[in-house]
Amino acid sequence: MRKKTGLSWLWFAIGMVYFFLPLLATFLFSLRGKKGVLSFVAYEHVFKDPQFLRTFGFSLEMAILTVILGLVLIVPTAIWVHLKVPKAKPFIELLTLLPFVIPPIILAFGLIKTFSRPPIVLVSSPLLLVAGYIIVAFPYIYRSVDAGLMAMDLRGLSEAAQSLGSSWITLLFKVVLPNLRTALLSATFLTLAIVIGELTLALILAWPAFGPYMALMGRNLAYEPAALAILSFALTWGSIGLIQLLTRGARDKGAKLGAVTH
Amino acid sequence: MAFIELDGIVKVFGNNTVVKHLSLSVEKGEFISLLGGSGCGKTTTLRMIAGFEHPDEGSIHVAGRNVAGLAPNKRKLGMVFQNYALFPNMNVRRNIAFGLKIAGKDKAETERRVDEMLEVIGMAEFGPRYPHQLSGGQQQRVALARALAIEPSALLLDEPLSALDAKIRLRLRDDIRSIQRRLGITTIYVTHDQEEALSISDKVAVMREGVIEQIGTPFEIYNHPATPYVSSFIGTLNVLPAKIVDAAAGILEIAGQVIKSGKPLDPTAGSDLAVTVRPEAFFLQGDASESNSLSGKVANVKFLGSVVRLVVNIGGVDVSADSFNAPRLTIPALGDEVKLHFSPDACVPLPVKAKADMVAALEEGAAETRKG
Repeated sequence: MRKKTGLSWLWFAIGMVYFFLPLLATFLFSLRGKKGVLSFVAYEHVFKDPQFLRTFGFSLEMAILTVILGLVLIVPTAIWVHLKVPKAKPFIELLTLLPFVIPPIILAFGLIKTFSRPPIVLVSSPLLLVAGYIIVAFPYIYRSVDAGLMAMDLRGLSEAAQSLGSSWITLLFKVVLPNLRTALLSATFLTLAIVIGELTLALILAWPAFGPYMALMGRNLAYEPAALAILSFALTWGSIGLIQLLTRGARDKGAKLGAVTH
Repeated sequence: MAFIELDGIVKVFGNNTVVKHLSLSVEKGEFISLLGGSGCGKTTTLRMIAGFEHPDEGSIHVAGRNVAGLAPNKRKLGMVFQNYALFPNMNVRRNIAFGLKIAGKDKAETERRVDEMLEVIGMAEFGPRYPHQLSGGQQQRVALARALAIEPSALLLDEPLSALDAKIRLRLRDDIRSIQRRLGITTIYVTHDQEEALSISDKVAVMREGVIEQIGTPFEIYNHPATPYVSSFIGTLNVLPAKIVDAAAGILEIAGQVIKSGKPLDPTAGSDLAVTVRPEAFFLQGDASESNSLSGKVANVKFLGSVVRLVVNIGGVDVSADSFNAPRLTIPALGDEVKLHFSPDACVPLPVKAKADMVAALEEGAAETRKG
């Protein structure tokens, strides 16, 4: 038995090394901006570059729009499917796989081709980019919400609320959404993390986003891209840490889902 | 018109007619149970009254108002669910206050009403707790308080005790009944548990395949079952194969022993039939009114507390016979030869067609008991 535990620790260690070694190497490399000493000079350059702030700001804006519009579109849909057309669930689940199967480059050209001529011309609007991002984020949002809805007794809760006189709006805002808190938070942070670093759509639709900026840096400079890579890692991990932190708060407040104890 | 009036209700799911021309009248303040095995349409009927399903035919009146087409949130009916359905994001107080806030009650009145309901369910100190911090029985009490807080015109309960363990089930059952009596609220209670239905209700409606087989007081249902299905679904029933000796005189033969039935026999149905006798209709000592007797070997003795159940093998068929427990009772040993006495009226012959029905009902009953 002990031998087995030892072996699994060994595998774990190998995995960790495989994962962290390149990260550590990148980090160390990013500190070599000044010859002979380790310094954060590459990070200074990154933060001083007005392009960095501009592109990051733009991507953040797009990400926030994507989160808002995505949630508004997908959350009610998921609830509707759960309550009214559970038979459609496998179909929607299949749809959520499409963004993984269809390369973003195809998606981008499809969007351009469709929305660059009447009746709907959207190519010049950042809304088209947001629309593309919603498609990319759709699996993450839908799956999070779906898992959240599965964890609560949606049908029972909605019937209880209705029998107490609740309208659909009250049901949504007082019962369903508060119990979806964890799911909504993880959907939000996953979407933010994905959209902020997204390259293909932003590049092909020609928007000054953070993804293309990182790619450009990577081509022209040595130490700054390494610093950027570390920064974007920190951002993603920060997001995941925030999910953990906020959902733990929710649990402590007693909003544990599906708790049936005797 | 009764307080709740169902008239010719039909409900079809796909090509399955779940409820077939069902009519039911419930008087104000009455406690009525819909009792039946799974798939008998009892829950569907309740959900149609609540408004979660809509009948394909027929009408439903509550308090003189036709509720057809009325959304569930406009019916003002309190509903309690099998799995409690408490809002996990709200504590007990806020759960109970939910319906009151929607009804637009002011803060003071809401608080007063919540306190009152917490008192009614005996959980005054549990207000700040969250559902997951409560036991199942406590959660169901809160669900009951939440449903009653809005002062509904009637209370609908859908198998409210099925998810609870036996001891809590018994206590909560009594509590539900006493709260219902105190508030005088019209109540419809759905259950598959016959003992629960008999012990809690003013009236029991035994349902099967979308129709009400019989409706009556628990006493009527138990002692005068109208159909073979009801007689077998309610209580324990012995079914004994018999042969007709003399139809006109009601003389039968069971495992070579001659007995008399107080009920008429149908001479045209052939000589084979089955008779039914309730376990409590057997007596170990007979007197003049229990003129029938059957002899057999004791195969098992079950001590059930207030009742001692003998299982006696009569001609290869195991027959249950109950005696009230008393210190003076002499309990026969395994393998003893005993004589079971019973009156001719306790012995009810079954037509052959009904026998198949009965077997199905007994199996269904056994399955439900196992599930419960």
